Amino acid sequence: MQCCPVGKERKIMNQQEIAEKIKTLICEQLGIDAEDLTDEIPLFADAPEGLDLDSIDSLEIISAIDEEFGVSMTGVEKEVFYNVNSLAAYVAAHIA
Amino acid sequence: MALPKLTAAFSVTDNAAFFRKEMKLTMTKNENRCVVTGLGLISAIGNNVEECWENVKKGVSGIAEATAVDTTNCYAHLAAQVHDDTLEDLPDAQQMDRCVKLCIKASGEALEDAGLTDLGNQTSAGVIMGSCVGGVSSVEHYYRNGGPAADVPKIPIASIAPAVAKVYHAGGVVTNIANACAAGTISIAYACDLIRAGKADIVIAGGTDALAQIPFAGFLSLHALSEAPCSPFNHCSGITLGEGAGAIIIESYAHATQRKARIYCEVLGAGISSDAYHITAPRPDGAGQMHAIRQSMKNSGITPAEVDYINAHGTGTAKNDEAEFLSLHTIFDAENPNLSVSSTKSMVGHCLGAAGAVEAVFSIKALTEGVVPPTVGYTEEDLPHLGERAGQMDFCPNQAKQKPLNTVMSNSFAFGGNNASILFSKKAGNVTLPEKQERIYLTGIGVVSPLGNHMDSLIAQLKAHTPMNSKSSESHVDRNDFAAYGIKSSFYRKLDTFSQLQAVSGMQALHDANLTVTDENATDIGIVVGTSDGPLSTICNYQENLLEKGTAGGSAFQFPNTVYNAAGGYLSICSGIRGYHVTLTSGIQSGLASLAYGVQILRSGQSKAILATGTDENSAIVTELYEKLGCFTEDSAFHLSDGSTGILLEQESSCHARNAIPYAEVTGYGMACKATDFTQLDCSEPACEQAISLALKDAGISADEIDGIVGFADGLPVVQQIEEDALAHTFAKQLPVFHVQSVAGEGRAATASLSAVYAALMLSGKLGEIISCDNGTEIAANSLHTLLVLSYSTNGAYTAIILSRVDEKEM
Repeated sequence: MQCCPVGKERKIMNQQEIAEKIKTLICEQLGIDAEDLTDEIPLFADAPEGLDLDSIDSLEIISAIDEEFGVSMTGVEKEVFYNVNSLAAYVAAHIA
Repeated sequence: MALPKLTAAFSVTDNAAFFRKEMKLTMTKNENRCVVTGLGLISAIGNNVEECWENVKKGVSGIAEATAVDTTNCYAHLAAQVHDDTLEDLPDAQQMDRCVKLCIKASGEALEDAGLTDLGNQTSAGVIMGSCVGGVSSVEHYYRNGGPAADVPKIPIASIAPAVAKVYHAGGVVTNIANACAAGTISIAYACDLIRAGKADIVIAGGTDALAQIPFAGFLSLHALSEAPCSPFNHCSGITLGEGAGAIIIESYAHATQRKARIYCEVLGAGISSDAYHITAPRPDGAGQMHAIRQSMKNSGITPAEVDYINAHGTGTAKNDEAEFLSLHTIFDAENPNLSVSSTKSMVGHCLGAAGAVEAVFSIKALTEGVVPPTVGYTEEDLPHLGERAGQMDFCPNQAKQKPLNTVMSNSFAFGGNNASILFSKKAGNVTLPEKQERIYLTGIGVVSPLGNHMDSLIAQLKAHTPMNSKSSESHVDRNDFAAYGIKSSFYRKLDTFSQLQAVSGMQALHDANLTVTDENATDIGIVVGTSDGPLSTICNYQENLLEKGTAGGSAFQFPNTVYNAAGGYLSICSGIRGYHVTLTSGIQSGLASLAYGVQILRSGQSKAILATGTDENSAIVTELYEKLGCFTEDSAFHLSDGSTGILLEQESSCHARNAIPYAEVTGYGMACKATDFTQLDCSEPACEQAISLALKDAGISADEIDGIVGFADGLPVVQQIEEDALAHTFAKQLPVFHVQSVAGEGRAATASLSAVYAALMLSGKLGEIISCDNGTEIAANSLHTLLVLSYSTNGAYTAIILSRVDEKEM
């Protein structure tokens, strides 16, 4: 269950829906091609194994997740940022 | 230099005389000496040089709670703001952004300090100003107040130098350097280049930036702002933004001594480089910084042992300070046991585009008074740790130190990996210019335009003379354009449209020139980006976003793209070019001004090749702003356009060494200004004639050796009239006239560069044997040997470039 933070109506989402939303945000905000972004691909590893995101990208992801889900990821350990699945799991567990 | 053997027949006095004679032989020739005759400054710790300097010596900090920006919900709240109630009393204050007012104050103080009030409209008097964010206060005002038209001319960085030129009547080179935190230093370096080349006798050079929401929110989003006051070379928890302006009067030695000016010191050489690494973070190995520092000493004829004090970049971020510690240790430890270093940003904050100029003033005051400013902010507990990191370098913790100083270095390392280092000295050093001036050739062309993203599309349209019909058109680049030059999506996804256009045209020009950038030649190739309006869409979008989400809602991803020099930075990264690097902005003419700048760098031997570009973007926002400027009236045939044009210039020796085939030779340039606003542009027509006259003189030819003109008329009636009048007054006979605007629209800097491309294509035979002029007359291409290319700015400045056919015999 989640309550609605001031100013944003949020419907209840399961982890898979959260993952889909995170992918949309990453593609929109960071200019990543949707076909390159799977749930499993390591976000910060070097290409071609990973997506080669950098520290500025991580700041943007933190900001987008905070705005979309009301979940703060500042200071969260970097393993959580490994891929979309790990991000979605964290968000699902921390949505108020 | 072999020491004479001291014998009884060679006395100590003779020995001293021998050394004096030897030193004179290797001293900067008088004609290459640049001297500082006036200083001006306004910052958080004072409204003039005296106040600022007294406070610096006392270690007073101007950092306090920010009031000019709403810091609600922000983790950082501090800034170093200027406190001056008299800014609004300046004449025409309401027509100027805050950054312009700060600049006029500092410039006025500097001129007065130099014993001058007015520069007499001379073409030998210039203004070169640096800025990072320009009129962002006016961008905010525009969006908060329903988009008043009066705000629009205040927005561009390009409005700054002309405003100073207008007040103080400078008539020569008037331009702005937009290299973020290195802009102030590069302005001073360029001023000296122009003076040494005989293009100016006196220049007001400096920089300005005002505290505003966009930069505050931007650095906040990057977590680059420190919560506590910035602590350079100490806690390194981030920057504190400052605001202010610095201005120095630089004169040729002859000009200063002739009018018996008081001389503070000499300006020696400078080193400017590019990291080619990351858009915000400096190279951790300090390689780019070290290259700039070494170049500045080499260009000055100074050894590391002779540098007494360094005013460091010292922003207070861990990344900068670590890299800077490393650079300084690597270069100076073995050579200089007595080096003092400090960061005055610990007191005035990081003034962005003004920083280099503010720090130049502090460096010069230090030099002349023999006082090293402190780095403030250390507690007793901090000092042992400083001792470990600093080694034998003295960072002057908390207290100024008296020390005899002969030579002072000032360093500035900017976003985009732009590095600048400059030396001020009581000694004349050994600044040398090449004995023989090399010819400069145009060897590569890249075109991105609404007509297509290759020179071939341009050629087809020019041959067909298909008129541009659309009121507003835009270029588009896509994955195919990037793929053609090996630019990966993991790279170009970070770039906004402005930077993408630049990346493609720049890579295209290198490819067209068949020039491969390698580790060996990377520092011998440079980039000069010319732009009229910079990344205007990104800046406006960023501001609109902040209005919606507040200062704490800025995007870390977008912020780097709001600075004008991001495009050059990205081009440097994807090409690997690590040499001279500058972004200039002086209105529409910026595309030709970048060629003029590039020619100067090549002639002075600071680079072997320069990628000189003209880039501007169009979008719904940009069209809206040009509408508010009044460009789309019933009697105007103005077609707003955009694009990016890349031109590779090379020294003749570089060209020969790799058997490159040039399109044309750039034989001369001239720049002049009658600073005015757009509504009175017709008053500036004499400056157009002067620019042409200076270009002819530079090329060593007379007006009747010009075979044709590529002009700047773009459908605005007043602009058309100025061009016609200037040509009628300069040339006895009617010459063939060409305009790329009729086919490509007014793409501002992109179109100015494209005009030079048009001339080069005609001269090289690429447009065929028969060429149609604008009026339909056909002429033989081989009747065109020398062409004059012109451009203008809505501030009343003009650039003229002369291109000549390359004789195969010469090659």
